[in-house]
Amino acid sequence: MGNVIREEKKEVQIEGTWDDYIKSYYEKPSSSKSWSGFDLKEIYTPEDRPHEKYQKEIADSGTYPFTRGIHANMFRGRLWTRREVVGIGSPADTHERLKYLSEHGGSGLNTIADVTYEMGLDADHPWSVDEVGLTGVNITSIKDMETLTKDIPLDKVSWSLITASTAAAVTMAQYVAVAENRGYDLPVLKGSIQNDPIHFRYCGFRPACPLDLSIKLGADVMEFCTKELPKWYYTTVNMYDLREQGITAPQEVAFGFGIAMCYVDELIRRGLDIDEFAPRFTFYVSCHIDLFEEVAKIRAARRMWAKLIKEKYGAKNPRSMQFRFAVHTAGCSLVPQQPLNNIVRTSYEALAAVLSGVQSLHCCSYDEPMCLPTEKAHLQALRTQQILAYETGVTNVADPLGGSYYVESLTDRIEEETLKVMKQVDEVGGMEEAIRTEWLDRKFESEALKRQKELDNGEKLVVGVNTFTTEQEKTTPLGVQRVSGHSATQQIEEVKKLRRTRDTDKLKEAISRLRDAAGEKKNVILPMVEASKAFGTTGELLGTVREAFGYPYDPMETVESPFN
Amino acid sequence: MDNGPDIDEMVKRLFSGDRRATARLITWVEDGMEETHEVMRRIYPRTGKAFIIGITGAGGAGKSTLTNHLIRKFRDQDKIVGVVLVDPSSPFSGGAVLGERIRLHSHSQDNGVYIRSMASRGYLGGLSRATYDVIRIIEAMGAEIVIVETLGAGQDEIDVIHIAHTCLLVVTPGMGDDIQAMKAGIMEIANIIVLNKADLDGTNACLRHLNATLSATSFEEGEWVPKVIPTISVGDKPKDIQGMDELTAAIKEHQTHLQKSDAMDQVRFERVEHELGLILKDELQKLIFKGLKGTGKKKRYIENIIKGKDDPYSVVDKVLKTYIKTKE
Amino acid sequence: MAETKKKKIKVLVTKVGLDGHDRGVKVVASLLKEAGMEVLYLGMYQTPGGIVKAAIDEDVDVIGVSYLSGEHLVFTPKIVAEMKKNHLDDVLLVAGGTFPVEDIPPLEEMGIDRVFRAGSLTNTIVQYIQQNVKR
Repeated sequence: MGNVIREEKKEVQIEGTWDDYIKSYYEKPSSSKSWSGFDLKEIYTPEDRPHEKYQKEIADSGTYPFTRGIHANMFRGRLWTRREVVGIGSPADTHERLKYLSEHGGSGLNTIADVTYEMGLDADHPWSVDEVGLTGVNITSIKDMETLTKDIPLDKVSWSLITASTAAAVTMAQYVAVAENRGYDLPVLKGSIQNDPIHFRYCGFRPACPLDLSIKLGADVMEFCTKELPKWYYTTVNMYDLREQGITAPQEVAFGFGIAMCYVDELIRRGLDIDEFAPRFTFYVSCHIDLFEEVAKIRAARRMWAKLIKEKYGAKNPRSMQFRFAVHTAGCSLVPQQPLNNIVRTSYEALAAVLSGVQSLHCCSYDEPMCLPTEKAHLQALRTQQILAYETGVTNVADPLGGSYYVESLTDRIEEETLKVMKQVDEVGGMEEAIRTEWLDRKFESEALKRQKELDNGEKLVVGVNTFTTEQEKTTPLGVQRVSGHSATQQIEEVKKLRRTRDTDKLKEAISRLRDAAGEKKNVILPMVEASKAFGTTGELLGTVREAFGYPYDPMETVESPFN
Repeated sequence: MDNGPDIDEMVKRLFSGDRRATARLITWVEDGMEETHEVMRRIYPRTGKAFIIGITGAGGAGKSTLTNHLIRKFRDQDKIVGVVLVDPSSPFSGGAVLGERIRLHSHSQDNGVYIRSMASRGYLGGLSRATYDVIRIIEAMGAEIVIVETLGAGQDEIDVIHIAHTCLLVVTPGMGDDIQAMKAGIMEIANIIVLNKADLDGTNACLRHLNATLSATSFEEGEWVPKVIPTISVGDKPKDIQGMDELTAAIKEHQTHLQKSDAMDQVRFERVEHELGLILKDELQKLIFKGLKGTGKKKRYIENIIKGKDDPYSVVDKVLKTYIKTKE
Repeated sequence: MAETKKKKIKVLVTKVGLDGHDRGVKVVASLLKEAGMEVLYLGMYQTPGGIVKAAIDEDVDVIGVSYLSGEHLVFTPKIVAEMKKNHLDDVLLVAGGTFPVEDIPPLEEMGIDRVFRAGSLTNTIVQYIQQNVKR
């Protein structure tokens, strides 16, 4: 059908109209542009890379500038971590799903916060009660964290805590508090926390993520982990969520680096040495549907990050220069029309991630554009990873696409484009200024509009959406995940009970120490750990710090502080 | 068969403060419905008492956030507030203010605030005629304060601002050149000049410049001298917001000035004169075109003008003469 | 009646509750505007009561709600109840976002006139609104 958009037609096309067959036979691709809009040549040859400097620009995997990967032996050393994001209903429900996936060969535990937790609201907050557990898990107090982590050996598993907003500081404190209560020494804990509050203002959490507080609390977690949790990855700068706004591959890298540098600059300002903290810096990257472009993007990002950390920040340790990243396949590339096709899309995207030398991978389940993943869909997504890992042989050789005239040339091109975007950011006064003046907001808006227009006018084709459409299916193939309202109600009741039964004097003391630390601009993670142990809630911990920084206690401006 | 809308019922509902009736009557104005004339005639005696504040300035100057703060101040005094946004980029008409909206729509559940946006689409009698009508409808609903916000772009919008008792011109430090260009008109429009975003570079220079311009202008004894109020209307933290008390005080001061001098009478006189002119022009035109309808004359006049056989001035003379004669 | 026919369709689009996925709703707002409608975007963190109040004040023809976090079954009945309470029976209510097909019939039963899932083309939305406004 080429780029002709089929309107939704009710009448059935008669099979065997020979014109259609003949047209299909002679059909050419409708576009010769990459997803991000690069004009591509018919074929790439040695001519396209006349000045190749292998050692300087590409080099073997495990060697600066790490274009080909951060480890010399890549997956022969260790497969990527096969993570599937989990977060559903109450902490107990989420715990059940974690157990299920680990019993089926998942190799990392990923738990994601729901909107209420990310906003820093307790489960019984007036704005929370309708939405607790709908998109992840709400942790109001240390009790919820205990339920979530019950029986799981925290020194053996690698836990990925997906809390991105300023609430990440609370998540870290709650996790540490539970670990200490269970008798673990902090240095044995391994895992990661998303902790990228700056980017999260673009995901609808602006009230919880004012810029100064985002940098402050984000850096507090990073600083605390650098000193106390040597095996912990303390941030996953989220380029993925930025990409989901509709931007291009070079913009994803440029804006992601811009945000990353806000944190790096702050840590250096606090007196940390780049080599002290940079080896635990990680990124969350999107893999979209254009396979070669995505591979080239990640190779370019690896090279650019290495150069940036070495040249701009003067790092000496090669480990500091390594761009470590997790991939989340592009949720926005999936559509609810003909939903099983999403499995195929995700497979290509996951393939791109593995060909790029990914450290940790989450595959979207096919039902992503419809509901939270069902158990079956979750398992299927994990199977996609396992087929890649165990059947396809793509794990054998590091950077298998390296040396391709096309991929090398596209890698250069993306680097060049990314540098241009970074220059634009510099011209508006740097990343903080681009955020403050809403320059970045306007960029996201105009790019998102372009993407929809490309779909509307058929410039980009999506099967089931603007080509090869069929009548809407009647059911979701593997069923629909529902969140039990009962779980939420129960959690809300538990929180109310906790408020009645905890030792108020002890809590007040802990909160007052937290307030003092925040007021004196000291690192607040340790006082948050203590306040968590005294059963202070997420809203109370965060609200106390917010107030010390001049913000309303409650980001929704509904609840007042009980401590004043 | 639809017998047309029930004017009695609608007006009754409007007087009782019914928001839906208010909203629908405003739509009648926007759509240029014939019934509007009768509605306005009936509600006119119930209007004219509200205090009207105009806010104008270039896009991005922060008018909407200022409006928002003013609503809050007036609501604290328990006043019923109406807001008319004649600005395609205002928060309620999409696009411009995205993101942190909690403070912006803190009035969204407050029944003491009526907010209506008017797109500047083609009104029959012009934008300002429609705005007069809309304000009167909101007044008749019970509003004691009406804030009219416009984008200070064209003559149309500046005309709208003439409706206000107190007019705020919002400028920002970055607008030095614009202010220069607007200098001639500035004193005529603005009773209060709000220098918003007063935390930006260039604030002091801009303040000096505005004050110098003002002191170079001669004002008569007892005449209102425009005030310059620096403000910061946007900020994440409550303490970032500055100048709102000063601004409210200045508005109050201007209101007192109007009341104690005979200035209020003069403003009222000018407003009615302006309004009368607008309505007269509009209605006269409608009446004449109605009279010409079906005669084929209008088409002929236009064709003759195009062909150069006639000109608009002579045509109008002719039409008016005929009209006035028949009336006599 | 011809001259009283509305010249422009007025649409209010909004998010409701805490869900912050607002990319889609902003894109839809821009595209409906380009299609010649008057569009008001209310923004994030709206309440059912606030949405209906704005719809009344602005005398809109259409309310469009964007749901992307599984909150559609929670908020739809609340919005519909507010609309009923205020007799907004001549206002078209549409929803867009991510839903399983199984939820479309219940949403329609609750009172949504039409559900547009992710992947809907602008044309489909524009045409539906143009042909179905209730006044």
